[in-house]
Amino acid sequence: MKLIRVNMNEKTINIEDVPQDYMGLGGRGLTSIMINAEVPPKCDPLGPENKLIVAPGFLSGTPLVNTSRISIGAKSPLTGTIKESNAGGTVAAALGGLGITAVVIEGQAPEGELSFLRIDKQGNASLVPAQGYKGMRTYQVVEKLLEAYGKKTSVLCIGPAGEYKLTAASIQSSDIDGRPCRAAGRGGLGAVMGAKGLKAVVVDQGGKSADAIADPETFKEAAKAVAKAIREDHMSGKVMPELGTAGLVAPVNSMGAFPSYNARKGVLEGWEKISGEAMAKLIQERGGNTSHMGCAQCIVHCSNEFVDKQGKYVTGSLEYETIWSMGGMTGIDDLDTIARLDNLCDDIGVDTMSTGVAVAVAMDAGYKEFGDREAAIEMVEEIGKGTEFGKILGNGPAAVGKHFSHTRVPVVKGQSIAAYDPRAMLGHGVTFATSPMGADHTAGNVVGAYLTQQLDPLKKEGQVETSRNLQIATAAADCTGLCFMAVVALTTPEGGEAFLKVINAKFGTQLGPDDIPGMGIRVLKAEREFNRRAGFTNQDDRLPRFYYEEPLPPHNTVFVISDEEIDSTFDF
Amino acid sequence: MKMRVKLYGTLSQRFPGYQHTQGIEVEIPDGATAKGLLVLLGISECQGAVVVMEGRILKADDKIRCGVQVHVFQALYGG
Repeated sequence: MKLIRVNMNEKTINIEDVPQDYMGLGGRGLTSIMINAEVPPKCDPLGPENKLIVAPGFLSGTPLVNTSRISIGAKSPLTGTIKESNAGGTVAAALGGLGITAVVIEGQAPEGELSFLRIDKQGNASLVPAQGYKGMRTYQVVEKLLEAYGKKTSVLCIGPAGEYKLTAASIQSSDIDGRPCRAAGRGGLGAVMGAKGLKAVVVDQGGKSADAIADPETFKEAAKAVAKAIREDHMSGKVMPELGTAGLVAPVNSMGAFPSYNARKGVLEGWEKISGEAMAKLIQERGGNTSHMGCAQCIVHCSNEFVDKQGKYVTGSLEYETIWSMGGMTGIDDLDTIARLDNLCDDIGVDTMSTGVAVAVAMDAGYKEFGDREAAIEMVEEIGKGTEFGKILGNGPAAVGKHFSHTRVPVVKGQSIAAYDPRAMLGHGVTFATSPMGADHTAGNVVGAYLTQQLDPLKKEGQVETSRNLQIATAAADCTGLCFMAVVALTTPEGGEAFLKVINAKFGTQLGPDDIPGMGIRVLKAEREFNRRAGFTNQDDRLPRFYYEEPLPPHNTVFVISDEEIDSTFDF
Repeated sequence: MKMRVKLYGTLSQRFPGYQHTQGIEVEIPDGATAKGLLVLLGISECQGAVVVMEGRILKADDKIRCGVQVHVFQALYGG
């Protein structure tokens, strides 16, 4: 239970025990509560007062499967709100294996100075000059770092976009194969890392100083039950290894809720060409891998390796949200182009979702035609080159809308919506409007509630309550380090019992089922308190006007949840 | 009535030779329900199968209309 505090002004590193106020916290719970306590809410997100906090979940570093989510938090330069963005890969398990609860990056290096933070197998941390890596794209960064430090090394890094401090810049996380293809994409946290003068966090894997488990025998038994529940669940055990998250392309299009052509339609013409089923078939025909293990300790294997016609690696893992942003929103129904765009974004270090939507806004404004594959690739390449237009694009859809004086910009608090149109899936509108993070697909995603017929996506009844409950549950789950695929499998009575038993065995506690939502509420309260002190009010919890006015084909419905109902979402 | 049903997720693996462009042809009685279609296809509930017609997820007792495209999915979560 150690905190590593790195001061980038003074180049000092302090390793301290976790203070009492932060004990028992992990992942998003720790980043959000720490930011609320330590970061001035009105500070410049790209200035020295902001802090970039990297925290594995509190179950990361234990033998439990699928506990490799890393939470990264800061005040966001994109939204101006508190932000937690989490990613898979290997670094959460590496930090957990060293008993490191969080790495806190403070201060700011002199302009133009670049460093790595290196953490070795003994848990020693040091800053290493990284001037030679200036402007380098992420795949090359990781390749060089693995050459220098060995294959068993985990990396978090930024690309040129982070160094340019673009507000859609991501932090890329290396996977099992040492590819920086997992992303803490949302909120522009790559810009915060770039502003600190930090190019990468480099962590040795295989540390042997993980925090002790209070009751190892019970933990072992419960961990087996968790793994069993994951394997037996039809989604995590069957569909995800076959199709990955791209399995959502078909149902969401069929339900008329796949925002397409910059959210002008709810169905993409030609969506069958970019569905999860089509992608799996194409990858298999070309000799790629549709059931790839991307994250440490993963038993789901929802990842894929997309290959070209020659069988050569293009990108991994091509995910639902990226297929939507780079395909649906831009009107591009070609998986090869989408895969190329995904790889470009990972390599340059920008969020695929914000970038795809930014491209779509530019197309909608008449800059290029919807469906123009070459134009989309050229636009994204401009971000990497740092051209004037590239920097506008790399600052996300709101910046592009402002540039073209175009008002159809699907963002909330400056961050793009995700792959579910609020007019055809009303609950998503509630989540996008009210999440403390800005519009976000990970904050309280309602699509599962529709597909399991818990509520009707087009009727307003139950939407606010469902969004609230899912936002609370997600905030709690984001503390643990468990991936979403595993969490879904633990919603059965047996899975839930095993999950609770694992937590209690880890900490020696006696938590009951009601304590889990309590954890989520505590996190959300801290996040909303930070935002309130930063100057946000209920008036910021609103969707763009066009969602209330422009009917979305094919259902031809608008967003009908009232402001009063939206404002009741966090009545706790 | 005869109708063509398109299958998604891993459901098509239950039907050797399934061609997605054509879907699968089934014959259902007039007034057949969504649940009846799933039973006819032999798709158990534990696989989370849901029937979508004209952009709407059908409830178990909702009737299937003649000549309308029907898709069968597996319930998934996103996040």
